[in-house]
Formats: sequence, C-alpha cells, structure tokens
Amino acid sequence: MTANPTDLALSGLTKSFGGTLAVDNVTLRISAGEMVALLGPSGCGKTTTLRMVAGLVQPTSGDVLIDGYRVTHIPVHRRNIGMLFQNYALFPHLTVAQNVAFGLQMRRVSRAEVASRVTTALRLVQLDPFAERLPSALSGGQQQRVALARAIVIEPSLLLLDEPLGALDKSLREAMQGEIRAIQKRLGITAVMVTHDQEEAMTMADRIVVMRGGVLEQVGTPEEVYSHPANRFVAGFLGASNFLRGSALGREGGEVVMRLDGGGLARVRAGAGPGGPLIAIRPEAVRLQPASAEAPVENGIPGTVEQVRYRGQSTHIHLRLDDGESFLAYLSNGDEAVPRQGFRPGDRMLASWSSASATMIADA
Amino acid sequence: MMASGSSATLDAPVAARPIRLPRWSVGLFLLLPAVAFLVVFLVIPSLTLLSYSVLTQSAAGDVGLPFSVSGYGRLLLTPAYQRVTVLTLKIALLTSLFTALLAYPLAMVIAYGHSALSRLTMMLVVAPLVVSVVVRTYGWQLLLGSGPNGVVNWALGLFGLGQVSLQILYTEWAVVVASVHVFLPLMVLPIATSLSRISPSLNEAARMLGASAFRAFLRVTLPLSVPGLAVGLTIVFSLTAASYVTPQMLGGPRGLMLGILLEQQVTTVFDWPMGSAIATLMVVIALGAHIGVTWMLNRRRAAVPAAQGEA
Ligand SMILES: Nc1ncnc2c1ncn2[C@@H]1O[C@H](COP(=O)(O)OP(=O)(O)OP(=O)(O)O)[C@@H](O)[C@H]1O
Ligand SMILES: [Mg+2]
Repeated sequence: MTANPTDLALSGLTKSFGGTLAVDNVTLRISAGEMVALLGPSGCGKTTTLRMVAGLVQPTSGDVLIDGYRVTHIPVHRRNIGMLFQNYALFPHLTVAQNVAFGLQMRRVSRAEVASRVTTALRLVQLDPFAERLPSALSGGQQQRVALARAIVIEPSLLLLDEPLGALDKSLREAMQGEIRAIQKRLGITAVMVTHDQEEAMTMADRIVVMRGGVLEQVGTPEEVYSHPANRFVAGFLGASNFLRGSALGREGGEVVMRLDGGGLARVRAGAGPGGPLIAIRPEAVRLQPASAEAPVENGIPGTVEQVRYRGQSTHIHLRLDDGESFLAYLSNGDEAVPRQGFRPGDRMLASWSSASATMIADA
Repeated sequence: MMASGSSATLDAPVAARPIRLPRWSVGLFLLLPAVAFLVVFLVIPSLTLLSYSVLTQSAAGDVGLPFSVSGYGRLLLTPAYQRVTVLTLKIALLTSLFTALLAYPLAMVIAYGHSALSRLTMMLVVAPLVVSVVVRTYGWQLLLGSGPNGVVNWALGLFGLGQVSLQILYTEWAVVVASVHVFLPLMVLPIATSLSRISPSLNEAARMLGASAFRAFLRVTLPLSVPGLAVGLTIVFSLTAASYVTPQMLGGPRGLMLGILLEQQVTTVFDWPMGSAIATLMVVIALGAHIGVTWMLNRRRAAVPAAQGEA
C-alpha cells in the first residue's frame, strides 16, 4: 500500500449557511505527504472546511484543487478521498473484513485482490485476528483502527480526519495519535485533521492552521504558532500566555525597547512576532523572586500572589499586577534551582523573563 | 415458612408492625384488573373457540363430545375451501409487498426530508386511519365501479380508452388496492423509524468509499432498514389475512377470503366447529407470519459473521 503523494489547495473557499458565514475565504496550500491540523474553538468552521474538501458540502464559492485539478464539482464518490469520522461510521451489518473490502468492491477490484489487500490493511493496523468480527464486538480504539484500514485500503489521494480520537480516553488517544501518524508518514498520504485539542494538533501535525469565526488566523509549524503566535487569540488558544500592553520607544542593538503601560521597560527581540502593542510571555518562561526595590526594572513587573496551585510537574502561581491584570507563572517542580516554597497568597513578587522569550503581537 | 426469607429475618419485630405485603404482591395487585380483563374476554373465549373446533355439533346445535377434527379436515381438504385459504394468503402477500413498495419512498421522505415536508407527508399517510373503514370502502366502490359508473373507468374513458372498461370491483384486486390504502401507515411508520435510526455518517462513509448514491442505498441503507421493513410486512400481512369488511364490500365472489367464510359458517350455516377451525387457521396464519419473519431476522443476524468477505 503506497500513496502517490498529492498536494491540496483551497482557494478562496467560502461557505455560508443561510446568510451566516461558516467558512470565510480560506486559502491554503498543503504539500504532498504533509499532515495539517485545523485547530480552533467550537463552531469556527473546521468541520465545514473538511467536508468541503471531501465533497460532502458544496462550497458557496471558491475551489478545492487536488494535485492542481479542480475537484469542486466532482461528486463525493469520485474524489478518492479517505475519511475518518468521530463516530467511526463502520457499517454495523458488515464484518471488519467486509467493512475494509467495501471501498475496493465499489472500485470493482477482483475478489482475489480484495482479499489480499484487506489482509494487508488489517495487518497494518494489527487487527487481522479480528477480520470476521462485527464492529459492535470491538472496542472504540479497535473500531477506529478498522476505520483507518478501510480509509487507506483504497489508496486515497487524501486522508481526512474529523476529530477521529475525540471519543477515546486520554491514554488510548495518545497511543492512537502515534499510530495514525506513523501510518500516515509511512504511506506518505497527505492528511488534513480537525481537532480542538491543541496538544493533539501539536504532536501529530507538520503544520497547524488556527481558525476563528471561519477565518484563518495563523498557519505554521507547531513551534512557530506556539512560540510566535500572530495575535492574542492564537497565543491564548495554544497554551496559556501573559499579555502586557506597551508602546515601542525605539530600537537598541537588535532589540525593541518598549515602555509597559503598567510601568517599567521591556526589551523584545526585533523580528520576533508580527509586531503590535502587546508582548506575550509564556508562563513557563517567567521567573519569580521576592520584590525588593519598587523601582521599575527591565523585563520584569511586580505583582501580588493570589493563588498557588500544585500541578504535579509544575506549580502554577497566579499573580495580580498593580493595574489589576492577572499574570501567570509556571514553576517547574523538577528544577532544583527554582525556589518553590515560600509563595503564599499576599506575597509581593517580581515576575521577570528574558528578552528572547517575549514576542510582540497584535491585540486581536 | 418459605415466603420472603430475607426480609423476615432482618425485620425482627414483625409483630409490632402493621401487615406488610411482600413486594411482588403489590405488582400483582396492580396487574389484576388487566389480567382479569384479558382472562375473561380473551383467554376464555379463545380457549372455548379452540375447543369448539375439535368437538362435534349435535342436530340441535349444541357443541359437545365426542372429539373430532372433521372441521379441519373439511377446511384443509375440500378444494373450494383450499382455494379460499390460498386466495387469502395471496391477497395478504400481494398487499404487503405493494404496501412495502409504496411505503419505502414515503418513509424516506419522512426520515430524511425537511421538517415541513416530513410532517406533511406523515399527516397524509396517517389520514386514512381517521376515516371509518366503511366510509373508506364505499369510496373505493365509487372509484373502482365498472363501466361509466366507476370514477377510474370514467377517467379512462375521458382519455379515449373507453373500450377498455376495467373490471376491478368485486375481484381480489379491489381488496388489494383498498387494503394497501388502509395499511400504508402501518408500513410507513416502522420503516421511517428504522431509517431515522441509521446514522447519516454511514451513508457519507459509503459515498466517500466510492459508492454512488444508489449503491450506498443498496449496500448500507436498505439492509439496515430491514428490521422496520420486517415489522411492517408482518403487521400488514396479518391484518390483511384477517380482514373482513374490505373483502365483504369490495371482493365479491372472486374475493372470498377466510374472514367471510368464517362469518358465513357461524351466522348462516351455524356450523360452530367449522367456524372455529377457520378462526384457528387465521390465528395460525398471523402467528406464522410473525414467527417466520422473526426467525428470518435472527438467522440473518447469525449469518452475517459467518459469511466470508462476500467480495
Ligand atoms: N448544515 C448546517 N446548517 C446550518 N449551519 C451550519 C451547518 N453546519 C454547520 N453550520 C454552522 O457553521 C458553523 C461552523 O460549523 P462547523 O461544524 O464547521 O464547526 P467546527 O469548527 O467543526 O466546530 P466543532 O469543534 O464544534 O465541531 C457553526 O456556526 C455551525 O452552526
Ligand atoms: Mg466539528
């Protein structure tokens, strides 16, 4: 089983349901063999985008191009796309083997070839001993593996996954993430996955597409979108982030100097992030020390401890800044150098960070 | 002392309490009216009827000993009666098949259509049930009447097909047509229920795997709706086989069914053992349809895992 790597392009893809825009002018290029995750809050249009690629939803305007060919008006059953559904969508009246054979039978593949390809596909997902069972006699994880075998046995040009692991518990989900990703890489299938789980997107995808209200907010590798979020929404959606408002004073040796509205100066590496009136600092980049001098410092801001929460790997300290904003610091519990004791609600602390860990972003 | 062992040992001061009935007795008490009703009006008459069918009738008209199965013998061995049984089965079979063919698309509209269309279809389908069977059957008499008196033939005449005066009324076909009309809702409802239970993603999965809309229907939707179809077929078959008013008013001599034969035997010939034998046969036909369909469904369910990739 191999896939001929194909690329996918969405060009101005738009869908409105009775006047409300579910997907708004989405343009995106996905290279052959790449796995892209559509990530965003509920109702942002991820499923609708995926279903337009599949052909299950007709776009209001715009085009879907597979390998440069416009497929927008090609009916679902001629697109040769494999899909994994959240509820698996296995045919309950057919055995595992018959489910996997279905797509090949529709392609009028000879009996002997169907049998051998079904066996190969089931072996790939380690379910060959279950071939004659009905789907109802399988666990959720096994069912989704049957669905995966059924989707890839037809050697699809694309693999679409709509929250494929949403119904599984955490540990099984993590195991399946690895398994799906390994098979996708091994076969070189171009894949688009929908999820609202940011960890899943980061661990599985080559690139992440963050959507909001039907619009693309940012497209980039997991590292890019996490370390250099384009705006406040992306920074807040992928993990937690602190935001400080300020205004740029000027450049100094490759760094932008900003005056923070809450008092003090901050230095941010020029070119880190798209620029804007906010600096974003990840909580894990924050260091805490008892506030001594009240004089403004660089790359630091004083605040009062509100809550201390032990979370296993780390301790989360919630600070309240003098201007009323909240500020979050994650202190690693494995790092001996970091003091963890002595934080009590009401303590005055100075939160500081390095210039390299701050990003200037837009307030949107 | 065998009754309710656990509660007796745990609740030590029994005497100090008011009488406590065991839990099952409350349930029995609540069921009593329904059970009594069924025993008096269903079980006893049914058993009486069944016993009449194996007894003999004296010249005076009393039914009593000795035992005899001559009623069944005549019913099953006389060619004239055999024809009635076969015709009854044929009409019931044709009616249930035609009803299924008409009902399936309607059920699909109800299950998949937009809500307004779906509700309208539902209303139209259920409408015949609110009209009295006698009125409805007179309606069919007017429609199917022969010559220029029947609406259907009159309409055919208008289109220049006057020569071909269709003789439908007073044949078995009139019974089939009217029965299809009456029993349509009883077929549509179980199929629609079955269809609406099928997850729409199954059809989408089939389409994505390369099935045209028609093949997806044949391979996924249709097989998954078989339980509803089976329920509908059983109900319509049993009710048609047991019908009396429709064949009486529309069937004429060519639509003589078991129900009419039964009525003749009891009210005209006063042959109770024969009438009871007919009634018993009708019950057996209805039960047979039910058991047969259930057996087929179970066999199908059991056969699925065994069938090697039917590719
Ligand atoms: N068939 C439909 N008819 C009308 N509106 C629809 C339809 N399908 C989706 N929508 C609307 O389009 C918007 C986008 O829906 P979509 O299902 O694509 O969101 P999503 O990002 O997949 O959300 P979730 O994470 O909850 O699955 C939503 O506001 C939704 O209400
Ligand atoms: Mg969705």
